[in-house]
Amino acid sequence: MGRQLRPLRVHQIASKMLESGRLQEEPAWYRVVGAMPPTTSLVRPLPVRMRPLQPVNTKRAKKAKSNTFRPQEIVYPEDKLRTQFYKDHPWELARPRVVLENDGNDHKNYDWSQLRQPGRQLDGESVIQHQLWLLNSNPYLTTRQAYDIARKKFYQLRLQEDIERRIATEEALAVGAVFDKSYFDIVFEREGQVLQDWKTKAAQDLALRKHKRNAAYSSTSLGEDAAAQVEGAAAEGTETAETDVPPVAAAVAVG
Amino acid sequence: MIIRQALSRKSQLFLGSSPLRAIPSIRCFFCTTSAAQQYDGSYYQYPPPQGQVGAPGSEPGPSPGSSHSPSSSPDSSPLSYAEQIRRDWKQYHQFQNTTADLGTRIDPHYQPSRLVRSPPRPRDITLELLLASQAHLGHATSLWNPANQRYILGVRQGIHIISLEATAAHLRRAAKIVEGVSEKGGLILFVGTRPGQEQVVVNASGRAGGCHLFERWTPGAITNAKQILEQTPHEARKAVKPDLVVCLNPLENYVLLHECGLYAIPTIGIIDTDADPTWVTYPIPANDDSLRAVQLICGILGRAAEEGRTRRIRRAVRESAEREAREAAEAAAEARVQAVKEAMAGDMDLDLVEGWGDDGEGENRSRRERVRSKLRAREGRPK
Repeated sequence: MGRQLRPLRVHQIASKMLESGRLQEEPAWYRVVGAMPPTTSLVRPLPVRMRPLQPVNTKRAKKAKSNTFRPQEIVYPEDKLRTQFYKDHPWELARPRVVLENDGNDHKNYDWSQLRQPGRQLDGESVIQHQLWLLNSNPYLTTRQAYDIARKKFYQLRLQEDIERRIATEEALAVGAVFDKSYFDIVFEREGQVLQDWKTKAAQDLALRKHKRNAAYSSTSLGEDAAAQVEGAAAEGTETAETDVPPVAAAVAVG
Repeated sequence: MIIRQALSRKSQLFLGSSPLRAIPSIRCFFCTTSAAQQYDGSYYQYPPPQGQVGAPGSEPGPSPGSSHSPSSSPDSSPLSYAEQIRRDWKQYHQFQNTTADLGTRIDPHYQPSRLVRSPPRPRDITLELLLASQAHLGHATSLWNPANQRYILGVRQGIHIISLEATAAHLRRAAKIVEGVSEKGGLILFVGTRPGQEQVVVNASGRAGGCHLFERWTPGAITNAKQILEQTPHEARKAVKPDLVVCLNPLENYVLLHECGLYAIPTIGIIDTDADPTWVTYPIPANDDSLRAVQLICGILGRAAEEGRTRRIRRAVRESAEREAREAAEAAAEARVQAVKEAMAGDMDLDLVEGWGDDGEGENRSRRERVRSKLRAREGRPK
């Protein structure tokens, strides 16, 4: 729809209407809007500076559009640490992340001398915050040393979680829980299915090739007989395929 | 996936029965009867079974309302229905008061329903609250409207981040406008047509005493009101135009905003990084895709309207009371003047006229003197 100027000029329009007599009495909003007029301005100010001023590249500046008024990338000192951590531990990115906040003041009660915080999940972010705390509290630590201390504590905690999960599974089994298929079972089943499908298609393809070869050399008429022959050959092929190889899924026992 | 087979065999103990069965000591706690009385699950039966008053230690009795103190004789008649209700109500509250502090202490946390039914006030606007409500999240940088550049703090993870200081300042101003219009008695229309915005729009308009819209705006409802609104079968009234429109998703309601511009109606709208800030009179730069942010903003504006409306109603009540008192005083003064006129015409003794005594007011005294002298002059009496 494009730029609109009428919404910004409602007070002036109403004033003109009152003057001319088109409006008999002031609208209820007239004095309120008059006391606090709209201040929308289309003039672009300089954006918040996130990075230091760069010297202008004169060669580029001649042709390129100016970036002076473009919003800049927000960068924190933790970002480098985050990049390093997730490069070393890519599978931590696969863990689900909770970004819900209560009232925005949760961070005020965190004590990053430990990795675990009440009300917060154990995350790569905990490692980075603990690393920062170590760097701030001990001036003789390097970034690499603080990172090693933090991530080793993190490994201990993750190991604890794994052990707890394993014990919980054993306890559940001991009281009679029945677990459904594990990821391994599902994967093997699917693999077996894919191989089975391939076998069927391969047999059909083989039968078709056979038929075409025969057609090239024989002088008999093609038609329904030939089609029936192909189907029979295909059925034969699948039967032989099934009897040859036992199904893969049956080999895996349920844990 | 865990299937708890064991529980399906012996579930009757804990599941499947009424909740009170699991706590058989409930009666013993506040009842002074003996624990030997069996509990039959009929605690909440009303009215209680007639003619059964269980003495302590006897066979299974009826609801505990009829057998309270051990000192009550077995011969006493069953309590009346109202008395029973009163006792049970008291017992229920005693029980609640004793057990309320037991159990887990849940820390204050975000409750989505509370944001809708009891939203914060304009004075509760803080940057932390806006941040937690995801009001700072704009759209992908390639989708922006450059007119919004002054409201954008920067770029993070491919999206524009709206400056929360701008959001807070614009929201406070919008709240002031809404409060002012509401105080003047203006009609405020709350519009939110996206799914999930219905409840908060209805609540805000209820607080303001205004109107709401959560379905598609019929084009022409302002510019072509006679045809659109007045000719519907059930609407025989004259169509009104709002004095202020609050729109939660201006991108979808540009027709409504255009009509408001044509008829000089001020508008307030939540402007995301891809919306045009000139479409509304008072933009609020914030995230319009997050339900939490939208509910927060609409709730705050509804509260502001409520405050303005309350002030207006109180002032109106006060002024009407003052006016009544003033009118009563004027009527009394009128009556006195009338009586004086009658006295002058009918030659009555002034001292017998009601309210004409020496009340010490200088003005009345001089008037009295004047009237007396006139009377005497007419009759020719000596001074």
